[in-house]
Amino acid sequence: MPDQVGHDGRMTLEEKKQEVIEEFSMYEEWLDRYEYLIELGKALEPYPEEEKTEEKLIKGCQSRVWLDYEVKDGKLYFRADSDAIITKGIISLLISVYSGRTPAEIAADDFGFVDAIGLRENLSPTRANGLVSMIETIKAAAAEMAGQARHDNGENNVIPGSTRNLSKEVLTAEDVAALQPLYTDVILALKQVYDPEIPVNIYDLGLIYELNIDKERKVSIVMTFTAPNCPMADEVLHEVEESVKRVPGVTGCTIELTFEPVWDRSMLSEEARVDLGLDYEEDEYGKLS
Amino acid sequence: MTVQEIRSRFPALAQTVYGKPLVYLDNAATAQRPLAVLEKEFVLASKSNANIHRAVHKLAVDATEEYEKTRDAVRDFLGAGSREEIVFTSGATMSINLVATCFGEAFVGEGDEIIVSVAEHHSNIVPWQLLCRRKKAVLKVFEIDEFGGLMVDSLEKLISQRTKIIAISHISNVLGLVNPVREIVQIAHNHDIPVLVDGAQGSVHEKIDVREMDCDFYAFSGHKVYGATGTGVLYGKKKWLESMPPYMGGGEMIETVRFSGTTFAPVPGKFEAGTQNFNAVPTLQEALRLAREFQEDAEVIENQKNITEYLLTVMTSDPRIHLYGVPRGTAEKTPIFSFTVEGAHHEDLALILDKMGIAVRSGQMCAEPLMDRFGVTGMLRASFAPYNTLEEAEYFVKCLNKAIAMLV
Repeated sequence: MPDQVGHDGRMTLEEKKQEVIEEFSMYEEWLDRYEYLIELGKALEPYPEEEKTEEKLIKGCQSRVWLDYEVKDGKLYFRADSDAIITKGIISLLISVYSGRTPAEIAADDFGFVDAIGLRENLSPTRANGLVSMIETIKAAAAEMAGQARHDNGENNVIPGSTRNLSKEVLTAEDVAALQPLYTDVILALKQVYDPEIPVNIYDLGLIYELNIDKERKVSIVMTFTAPNCPMADEVLHEVEESVKRVPGVTGCTIELTFEPVWDRSMLSEEARVDLGLDYEEDEYGKLS
Repeated sequence: MTVQEIRSRFPALAQTVYGKPLVYLDNAATAQRPLAVLEKEFVLASKSNANIHRAVHKLAVDATEEYEKTRDAVRDFLGAGSREEIVFTSGATMSINLVATCFGEAFVGEGDEIIVSVAEHHSNIVPWQLLCRRKKAVLKVFEIDEFGGLMVDSLEKLISQRTKIIAISHISNVLGLVNPVREIVQIAHNHDIPVLVDGAQGSVHEKIDVREMDCDFYAFSGHKVYGATGTGVLYGKKKWLESMPPYMGGGEMIETVRFSGTTFAPVPGKFEAGTQNFNAVPTLQEALRLAREFQEDAEVIENQKNITEYLLTVMTSDPRIHLYGVPRGTAEKTPIFSFTVEGAHHEDLALILDKMGIAVRSGQMCAEPLMDRFGVTGMLRASFAPYNTLEEAEYFVKCLNKAIAMLV
């Protein structure tokens, strides 16, 4: 479940959404709703001209929309602009709801309130597409942020190829100590998932390349399969996610699939080798962190 | 015909949207269809539904007859010399693609040149770009002036020994100005260069006579002249159609098929491969009859002229509004009005107008090079049909002012 505790005396995400729904329902006529959105748009905090770059432009909108974010204290803060004022009002509404929330909160949210206030169905399809693109961008920011949080402080936290300049999550010694039992539990959960072809669990097979838990207790996993064209891939990924999410204290789980490096038998754990009756000549076994 | 008489034939116009009477001003995108067209398609689908040109049974014979009768109707509508010069397509886009592909295959080679105008719809740009990519040919651009008028004087300079074809719209879907196609054709023909005219808007607003215009190809869509969607026409001079290879291979376009080699049916069959849109194409009979009536009826002409003059006055006298496509000299303006408003985004305006019951188009109108030419990201377009009233034009202006007041 998402973290629902109020931050700095702010409303929780649920409270804020409810407030927006109530505010919107006061306007019966669509023209009045547009007036309201126009006001919100005009009041939106200015966005620096020099940051209206192609990279921050959201695709799929008839009007141009730029969206950017930064991370402070593990929370996402959005800022945006548009050359169309109603669109700007919609962004303002989204920002007022989602800015200052944790990646876990945003990732767990279904954005259903957009439907509740009739924005999606009452806008032209092209506009609705733009709205969907805006929501996707906010979700992607949350996912990216969650994926970058690492427990091994000191390592480079920026995902290669990412152009976003995110502040990395720094964990104190207390944080690490507090998270330690959770790591044990999550590894136990991973050991419940078996490879569909080899009678060894995915952890001991060495399929888990990275396992990180951030301060929000969101688990991110980088894993592989024994073969790139595994027909059971989706089922296994689903099983991993479900198994991890069931661990008490875990707030979310994202899994990234990779085939770099390609899995080979040297990645088997010693236990797995014994289970499989393999001799172990190599010195290097697993590559788990 | 009074406007009210006309309106009563178009069932879609009687509806309300968001509790307001519908004011449909997106006719350049697609026109509403009269009952006669809707009924025709229903009758064909429910009674004479059979594949054409093939079987000998009653239904197939009836369907074939309706389909081929339509070819005659189109010939008459365009003033073409023979029915063999009329090819049915899915719309103007397919018509132009057919020419770009087949004419291109036969006559365009590496280093050759094709001329299009900067004001073309994407459908009259992209097929030529694809051809240029395939053949390593060059696309050259015919410019317009700041008012949207084609700079015909510059055409001579653009033409070279390598120019193989000129593709130009009869009326731009954004600017609404009638291009001097007759003059362009004459210049081109002096250099033995054929001309394709994109008549998607021209077929609606102008009385066409392809022989008088002397163009080599004329393309239009059925749905913009009150016909069923998925119908379209390519007129091509016989000498060109006969010297072009087929577009698609398949049933009906062949004469004999052997694995040692296949011979093709004579034109226009050569270009009509596969099952044709036989329930929809015959609606063009009713649609084109009506379109022609509109083009000839004094009352309709008068009404369209009043609307055009009223909007031209409003839009050229309001300093907040920038109209693109202002008639100069003898140039004729059709009731297609594309404009921008200082400080108000086209999309915002369109959204607000929509909630007032007015359907207009906003954005790039499938003419991105033209938007770039004027340095705008998009425009708002109100396009009128003979079923639109002057009162609707006035209501549109009133609502536009209200929308601008909300935004600026």
